[in-house]
Amino acid sequence: MSDVEILLVGGFMLAGVGLYGLLVIRNLIKVVVAMQIMVKGVLLALAAAAETSGQINLGQSMILTVIVADTVVAVIGLALAVQVRRVKGTLDVRELSELRG
Amino acid sequence: MTDLLIVLTMGLPWVGALVVWRLGDDKPDLQHRLAFVFALAAGIAALALIPLHTSDVELSIDAGSVFGKFTFVPDSLGVFLAAIATVIGSLAVLFSSDYMQGEKQLGRYYTSMLLFIGAMVGLALTGSILLLFIFWEITALCSYALISFYNDDPKAVAGGIKALIITQFGGIGMLAGALICFAYLGDYQIATFIEKADTLPSDMLTVMAFGFLAAAAAKSAQFPFHTWLPGAMEAPTPVSALIHAATMVNAGVYLLARFYPAFAGVDYWTDAVMVVGLVSALMAASMAVVAKDLKRVLAYSTISQLGYMVYAVGVGSIFASQFHLLSHAIFKALLFLSAGAVIHGVGTRDMFKMGGLGQAMPFNRNVFMIGALALAGVPVLNGFWSKEIILEHGLHDGPAWAYYGMLAGAGITALYTARMVWLVFFGRAHYETEHAHDAGPMMKVATGILAVGTLTSWLVIGLFGEMLEKSLPHHHIHVEAASDMLEAVITAPETLVALGVVLIGAVVWVIHRAFLPVGEFLAPLGAAADQDYGLNWVNRQIVQITQSLGERLRATQTGYLNWNVFGIVVGVIVTLGVLAWGA
Amino acid sequence: MADLPAFIWLLLVPLIATPFVYLVGRIFDVRGNLIARWAALVVLGVTWLPFILAVLDLDQNGADSYTLGTVTLRFDELSLLLAALSLGLSTVVVLYSAAYMQYEGRQEKYYACLTALTGVMIGLGCAGDLFNLWAWFEGMAIASFLLVAFYHEQANALEAGIKYLVQSAVGSALVMLGIALVLANTGTLDLVEIRAAAGDSTLLLAAGALFVIGFGIKAALVPMHTWLPDAHSQAPSGISAMLSGVVIEAGLIAMLRSVAALAGVSDAWGEMLMVFGVLNMVVGNLLALRQTQVKRLLAFSSLSHVGYMLVGLGVAIYANDATGAQGSLFHMLNHGLMKGLAFLAAGSLLYTLHVAAGSHAPLTIADLNGAAKRYPLTALGLSIAVLGLGGLPPLAGFMSKWQIFVAGFNTHESWIQALIVFAALNSVLSLGYYAPLVNALYREEESEAVVKGKRLPLTMSIPVVVLSVAVIVIGIWPALLRWLAEPAGDALLATFGF
Repeated sequence: MSDVEILLVGGFMLAGVGLYGLLVIRNLIKVVVAMQIMVKGVLLALAAAAETSGQINLGQSMILTVIVADTVVAVIGLALAVQVRRVKGTLDVRELSELRG
Repeated sequence: MTDLLIVLTMGLPWVGALVVWRLGDDKPDLQHRLAFVFALAAGIAALALIPLHTSDVELSIDAGSVFGKFTFVPDSLGVFLAAIATVIGSLAVLFSSDYMQGEKQLGRYYTSMLLFIGAMVGLALTGSILLLFIFWEITALCSYALISFYNDDPKAVAGGIKALIITQFGGIGMLAGALICFAYLGDYQIATFIEKADTLPSDMLTVMAFGFLAAAAAKSAQFPFHTWLPGAMEAPTPVSALIHAATMVNAGVYLLARFYPAFAGVDYWTDAVMVVGLVSALMAASMAVVAKDLKRVLAYSTISQLGYMVYAVGVGSIFASQFHLLSHAIFKALLFLSAGAVIHGVGTRDMFKMGGLGQAMPFNRNVFMIGALALAGVPVLNGFWSKEIILEHGLHDGPAWAYYGMLAGAGITALYTARMVWLVFFGRAHYETEHAHDAGPMMKVATGILAVGTLTSWLVIGLFGEMLEKSLPHHHIHVEAASDMLEAVITAPETLVALGVVLIGAVVWVIHRAFLPVGEFLAPLGAAADQDYGLNWVNRQIVQITQSLGERLRATQTGYLNWNVFGIVVGVIVTLGVLAWGA
Repeated sequence: MADLPAFIWLLLVPLIATPFVYLVGRIFDVRGNLIARWAALVVLGVTWLPFILAVLDLDQNGADSYTLGTVTLRFDELSLLLAALSLGLSTVVVLYSAAYMQYEGRQEKYYACLTALTGVMIGLGCAGDLFNLWAWFEGMAIASFLLVAFYHEQANALEAGIKYLVQSAVGSALVMLGIALVLANTGTLDLVEIRAAAGDSTLLLAAGALFVIGFGIKAALVPMHTWLPDAHSQAPSGISAMLSGVVIEAGLIAMLRSVAALAGVSDAWGEMLMVFGVLNMVVGNLLALRQTQVKRLLAFSSLSHVGYMLVGLGVAIYANDATGAQGSLFHMLNHGLMKGLAFLAAGSLLYTLHVAAGSHAPLTIADLNGAAKRYPLTALGLSIAVLGLGGLPPLAGFMSKWQIFVAGFNTHESWIQALIVFAALNSVLSLGYYAPLVNALYREEESEAVVKGKRLPLTMSIPVVVLSVAVIVIGIWPALLRWLAEPAGDALLATFGF
């Protein structure tokens, strides 16, 4: 396996780690962290893909854009988490299950 | 000229609906009057359309793409149904101005009534299967709105929704049929379809034929879809008279008659139609014998009489079925309206709480009696002629067992009719209200006109037959001169047999105490009939199973974030798996 | 600047104006809400101008594209359809929100997000390459997160916002992974070039699956739908209308665009969409059946309507027949109108019965009892909307469902015909939950909430009346929307390479 392929596979695995985190984590802040891990895996995969196709410039601009967008999402997520803590007094996502059925 | 009349017949009620709705509920008198004026105008336009009947397309609007041409063909089948809908419609509206006096939300009532009348006209006159289906559904919608007019009564709401869902369920058969027609012939025109029906793949034609039968059975409250009609009796009585006796329920029979030439060659189709009619006629008649609610008796008798019409189509006698449709529309509207006057006067629908009402409401008794005699098939009322013609055709063109079944049905009809008349108007008075009053003036006008119609409508038999013969080229209807037909009925030995059976039925009621042992022997059957032979149970089970499925599925919406993400993971894995396997 | 094509202005105007809407609202502290609202209305009004120009341009010169650096934007009939839907609905919603949101503070955020949402959705329709598509998609998500969680003091709104945010973020990550696979395999991201370069590769198949799921989360495909009922019911009603009427449909269009690029990789796309369609119809209808909250019920019904669209699209792709795609896109428009109407009318009642009294209680079916007497137009609007959603003629929903059904039967394949009959059965089932709403509205006996209800502001009735008339008129005369739906269907199918 070449370096790039390892990078690509690694990116997917990292994203998988993040996804696994979202499956099991209960703390809202950690949920945001897991989302971040997932996106970091995506970034690795993108970098690897850009390298394989020989379009490193495209890769760079994509990665920058993803970072920006993802930061915005993380910020909103954290802001919501803060607000949840304020309103409900907890960060446990299991407690956030009023809407069901 | 013809196209203008079509537009008027259909459009006037709709304009009226809009006007009455915009008028607001604070002017009830004006609402009553305007609703009647618009319905009457439509009725006049429909009558004017009768002599202009033709099998040509008189009005065509291109809706384009997959909707085809919206056409209107005022042939004799259509114009008669349109005339029935508008004339009886205007009488029902007239009757309502007394019956609904002082009710709230009159705007909604009249709007739905007028929308219904317009849609029924459209259903009768259209030449496009798609448009037929559209009007079919609109009438179902109006029927639902009117059955559950008293929305505060949970029974009315349940009855309305039940009617809507069952007719829609049956309607799927028609939907599939219309789609098949378009998919294989590229056109929705009924005329095209009837001409080219044999070019369809035979399995598709079979699906279509039985789909239409299901739709017709659901609409005409035939076995096994009849369970909605008794529940529909929660509607205000003029609605029951118009929609659930005289017009909408006829749409199913109309559909079968209209498409008979295309489906007659499909294996087992005519047999199935015949059996559906036979089973409905007998089953509903037996239920009418044990029912206690006056409107329910009439509802069951409607199912039973529609069974006769369906049976007539099954044996291939379109003329007989349509002629009975005409007679039945008139006498059943009469029965319902005068029953409405009774209910209005006494304030109950339970026949065992009536009795002896003939004294208090003589006019009403008289017109009700006319209707009842026609229902029982007593000469020389319209019901007698049309039923005899059906039986005669049944004997000649259908199997004997079915004929004997229908003959027995005629006897049972006489039995429950006698029982009904006796319990309501004669015998000991059971009603509690002191002021059982006779019908109001508008009620009298409406029922009086229908009574005259019941006495005389059979006179048009010759004209009716001639029109069907001329403007329905594919039905191959051959009708003899009126005098010949009437003479044939009078002289045929079957008529005497039938009359004998009717007489026996009536006599059984008169001396029913002598039959008490037989009655006890038949008690389980009576109990089963009272429970709708378990079909209502089936309906309830279906509803319950669906509801509990819905309730159980709610458990999958846990509200937990982790679970939601799990859903995504499952989606990814399954999609990957399916694609990998599919590729 | 002058040589920019009209469609660029179409998406630029709302986007450029967004910060202004926010700033003017922010700066003028006292009357900020009012000014932000007017600013948004003016912006959207002005956007109609390039919209008309773009329509004319498209009509005369056909699909157009514009390249800035490495970014290519393409404007075809499908882009136009999405633009029309989002611009139309957001204009109505801004009108409506004037009264609905009047008790809320800091409305500049609301209006700025709404304008931005409109702009990015128009942009999403024009995206010419995968990454661009993702970027617009992410922009749409971000703008809508803030709107869903607008009532940020309400625990339920926060809960809905968090679920929406997390699931959307997962979706967008999955899409990016798919993009990485495509880039690594084909060396390009341009939607047209991918199709030419795409070989028969398992990895591309995986990319396709990732696109379907990633975008499918936003389009609320079962089993990724779990965020939808929460978000749609907790957002302000105008936003519920936008989310149900356009946002999930935009997700669907994004999915179709990306899958179209990979059309050659698998033969099973059509079948797959049909399977999802069936799942969506069944699950949506059954879940809606036992709901007691009106907005939640309407949210679940969106699931089933996405199902109809998927069935039509699946049939079109499977049979290479544009009718299904046209029907689905027609249904998309109609669903936007009907669901928009339903949410706005239900929102009006929610407003007069609860919001105006300072309560955040949900609108239950029991609350509707007798509402028709005091709020006749709103009740009629809601009835028309739900009956139309239930597929009763002569309302718009019937016509578009019919077109989808025709496409199904036109395949002459019995299993698809059975599927269509099943879809029709689902329509009947849906009446089981729509009809009781209508019955409740027209009761004589009023619920406590209705008795205490406040007066309904006129500006909330106008959008309801306009949409009601539209639903009826299109139901009677479906050809009115043909100029939008049919070319869009053809264009969509063309991108699948047929």
